[in-house]
Amino acid sequence: MATTERLTATESTADTILRVRDATVSFEMDRGTARVLNGVDLDVKRREILGVVGESGSGKSMLASAMLDAVEEPGRLTGEIIYYPEEGEPVDVLNLSKAELKRLRWEEISMVFQGALSSFNPTMSVRGHFTETLRAHDADVEAGMERARELLSDLYLDPERVLDSYPHELSGGMSQRALIALSLVLEPNVLVMDEPTAALDLLMQRSILALLSDLQEKYDLTVVFITHDLPLVAGLADRLAVMYAFELVERGPAAELIRDAAHPYTRALLKAVPNLDAPLSTMRSIEGSAPDPVNIPDGCSYASRCPLADDQCLREDPGGYGAGPEHPVSCHHWRRADEAVPFETEVGE
Amino acid sequence: MNYIVKRTAQAVFTVFAVITLSFVIIRLLPGGPADYLRAQLIQRSGGSLTQEQINQRIASQTNIAVDEPLYVQYVDYMASILRGDFGTSVWYSNEPVIAVLGPAIPWTVFLMATSLFIAFVLGVTLGAFMAYREGSGFDVGSTGVSLLTNSVPYYVIALLLLTFLGYRMELFPTGGQYASETTPGLNLEFVLSALHHGALPILSLVLASFGGWALNMRGNSIRVLGEDYLRVARLRGLPERRIALRYVGRNAILPMYTGLLIAIGFMFGGSIILEEIFAYPGVGYYMIQAINARDYPVMMGAFILITVAVTIGVFIADVTYGWIDPRAEGGGTRESY
Amino acid sequence: MSPTEATSDFEAVSETSLSKRERYRQTLDEQVLAPLRIVWSDWRARIALFVLSIFLLMGTVGVMLVPEPSPNQGPALVGAFRTLEHPFGTTYSGHSILSQLVHATPPMLKMITAGAVFTVVLGTAIGTVSGYKGGAVDGVLMTLTDVALTIPGLPLIIVLAGALQGSLSGNPYVIGLLLSVNAWAGLARAIRSQVLTLRDAEYVEASRILGVPTAEIISKDIVPNLMPYVTMNFVQQARAVIFGSVALYFIGILPYDSVNWGVMMNSAQSQAGAVSSPEAFHWLLVPMLAVVLLSLGLTLFAQAADRLFNPRVRARHTKTTPDEQHEDDEPDEPTPARMIR
Repeated sequence: MATTERLTATESTADTILRVRDATVSFEMDRGTARVLNGVDLDVKRREILGVVGESGSGKSMLASAMLDAVEEPGRLTGEIIYYPEEGEPVDVLNLSKAELKRLRWEEISMVFQGALSSFNPTMSVRGHFTETLRAHDADVEAGMERARELLSDLYLDPERVLDSYPHELSGGMSQRALIALSLVLEPNVLVMDEPTAALDLLMQRSILALLSDLQEKYDLTVVFITHDLPLVAGLADRLAVMYAFELVERGPAAELIRDAAHPYTRALLKAVPNLDAPLSTMRSIEGSAPDPVNIPDGCSYASRCPLADDQCLREDPGGYGAGPEHPVSCHHWRRADEAVPFETEVGE
Repeated sequence: MNYIVKRTAQAVFTVFAVITLSFVIIRLLPGGPADYLRAQLIQRSGGSLTQEQINQRIASQTNIAVDEPLYVQYVDYMASILRGDFGTSVWYSNEPVIAVLGPAIPWTVFLMATSLFIAFVLGVTLGAFMAYREGSGFDVGSTGVSLLTNSVPYYVIALLLLTFLGYRMELFPTGGQYASETTPGLNLEFVLSALHHGALPILSLVLASFGGWALNMRGNSIRVLGEDYLRVARLRGLPERRIALRYVGRNAILPMYTGLLIAIGFMFGGSIILEEIFAYPGVGYYMIQAINARDYPVMMGAFILITVAVTIGVFIADVTYGWIDPRAEGGGTRESY
Repeated sequence: MSPTEATSDFEAVSETSLSKRERYRQTLDEQVLAPLRIVWSDWRARIALFVLSIFLLMGTVGVMLVPEPSPNQGPALVGAFRTLEHPFGTTYSGHSILSQLVHATPPMLKMITAGAVFTVVLGTAIGTVSGYKGGAVDGVLMTLTDVALTIPGLPLIIVLAGALQGSLSGNPYVIGLLLSVNAWAGLARAIRSQVLTLRDAEYVEASRILGVPTAEIISKDIVPNLMPYVTMNFVQQARAVIFGSVALYFIGILPYDSVNWGVMMNSAQSQAGAVSSPEAFHWLLVPMLAVVLLSLGLTLFAQAADRLFNPRVRARHTKTTPDEQHEDDEPDEPTPARMIR
């Protein structure tokens, strides 16, 4: 293991709000134990927007659920997740009583899912969702509804009309915004969003992102934005973390990561996305497929698809190398990544 | 509101169609009631009645004046049925049909409504528990029992109950609606006696139909339990009770509401056979008596009454569905962004 | 999409040249063997097929082996399972109940077939035409359907049987039709809404643009997709005919020209008071058990058939096509390769 360089990658914890260490989600299958989140370390900083990017099936939804200790049966979550409130003692998320967990969720850390329409009870009005949430947390319903109206207005919705509607009467964009308002009604500090814009058209995606940025400032939110769409978050996020095959392979400040991605996979991702400025011929889909969660291979999990892979990659798990002071990357050959996966020039194959 | 207007029109049209059908059956079927009654009258009187007198007798029994043009017969028939005049019974010494059947209606409705309610509540509760314990021994066992009881016709259950609980163990009466020594009215003795007499017919229908509801509810609940909104509800910290009732229960039961529509018709059909088996003088019992006695006016009257009852039941269920399920109306007015 | 894959459902022209023999083999596998394999993989189906075969054998071979029922075949009211000669006992007048049971099976099967076929044909025809034509035709047909759907079946059948007492014969086919007089309505509704969805489906649109005649579109593109509904309703109506006929024979308002399970129950009750007298109870019980068993067989069959029409289950059991589909990058339908992932 590359112990020497690993230390340099440790991030400072001073302004951390959520600390994830060795988070692993596993479940039993007929074929063996599947690991759909494999020893992830991540620090979320107070009042930042952190973008988590990965292909579908890379385990990014598991990471989102883990932050609220909301991994569904039969998955088992192990590791350590610490929440640091602004005042008071740190909270060990995975060792809470039922009542404490209920208080953490939605009051401190809230979540928005992909497909807002399916997140609402189809036979209950939107207002019902707000009031029942307030009541379940013993909050003042009157004041809470006042805040709900304000949130809806902030999201450019007509509060009364939306509250009186049933979920099916709202458009996709409207219900997604209503769901964001619902997630913020108890004034949480952290908002985890799992593909919140995936089902929407491009225009609606952009406008929700813009609104999100405003909300984050107005309510001092910390946002974890999970998506498969790197360019979508690139402009929004302060920092980015890239997931591949149930592990985080690279993380760092957004601008630095976009400009100078150190992991061959991140570079491949950036190349795979349609960019209006780039000539068509430089766009490539990433060849090969992600590994099976049951048999995670020794060594680097990206080795089978990586142009830089050698014996060392197949043998040794690439630990944290530091591509910059706040920029850890899991690749033995990160220094050569920019040569192997160049952005603008054609790859002659 | 438009929906209610449409539904009302449909219900009215159904009643209208049923009366028309009944006219066709009486008047136009070869060898049907009108022809039969005529033959009877000629035979019994030994030719002493004139053609005119015979026609008059047929008209008073069936409301169809056979010597008028067909369209006049039809309009007259329709008008008298709508006035509540179903003609006069042949068998019950020329009593009006409505006097024979009227007192029987509440008893049939009592049997049907009670069985439907008990079977539905029992099935839904069982199905919900089966879904919550999906795959457990309880679930597998209950599924088996539900499948089995669902394959047994209600009259087979009725005959078994009558044989064992009625005759062998003598736990329940084997006929009638209430003990003759009680006086009908709101007194405990009478109510208990009526329940005692109704127990076996009700139990037969409940046993034969709860399994279907249970299997239905189980499937629906399992589907709802996998929905995203349930997960979100849990994350929002809603109490389990509210999730079970307002989320799982409501969303799983709603699709079964239309099943109730079909069940109403099925139950009324079943009542005919059951009332015959238990000698329970409801509408169906008189209907069978009338058929055996070739008392066509009573038979057609019972048919119209049962069908109208079912139509009203279906209408009520249909219209109230719009109130309890927000998605039933205006599904097409979804806004686009 | 590889061209060969299209053969599975829509019988599009295949560009690759399969030999005739290969193609027959493939069709056989998809249309006959795969369904059989699916059916056989399910315990309910195995029980169902077992039960249904018993009744089929009873109705075909059984009638040749078991003597026709006649009075004084044995002593009166022998109980069930007492003698080898009359395993199910005898009636009041000494008929062997086994003989009656077996000889009542063929008319029952005829009745079921007539009723179920009538329901399915009429329901499919009305539903398809209504959904496909739309407009006034649709309006009229659906109004009729709604009326037929609301009128409770059994009372209508009873009234018709009562009114036709003089002219109705005991022909089992006729009785089967009578018992299914308004059963087509439910199927017609279901079929119509399916057709409405399918009518606008892309591949149907494509056929229309290519100038394929309406009749051919209906028979090639639409009808195959309706098979699940048709099968389910066939089984359901078969059950309804059994339940209904036995009930009406039991209360004695249907004419008959041969022995029938319901008639047996009626005689047991009217001749020997089987409900109240234990000596005659077996006379009532045996035909009831036959009804329950046959109906259970049909219920289980319906459940298994449900799996038959599930494309995922089906693909897993087809042997010839998967190999070709493996090379396919974007299969339209779930293929084995896709499901493993």
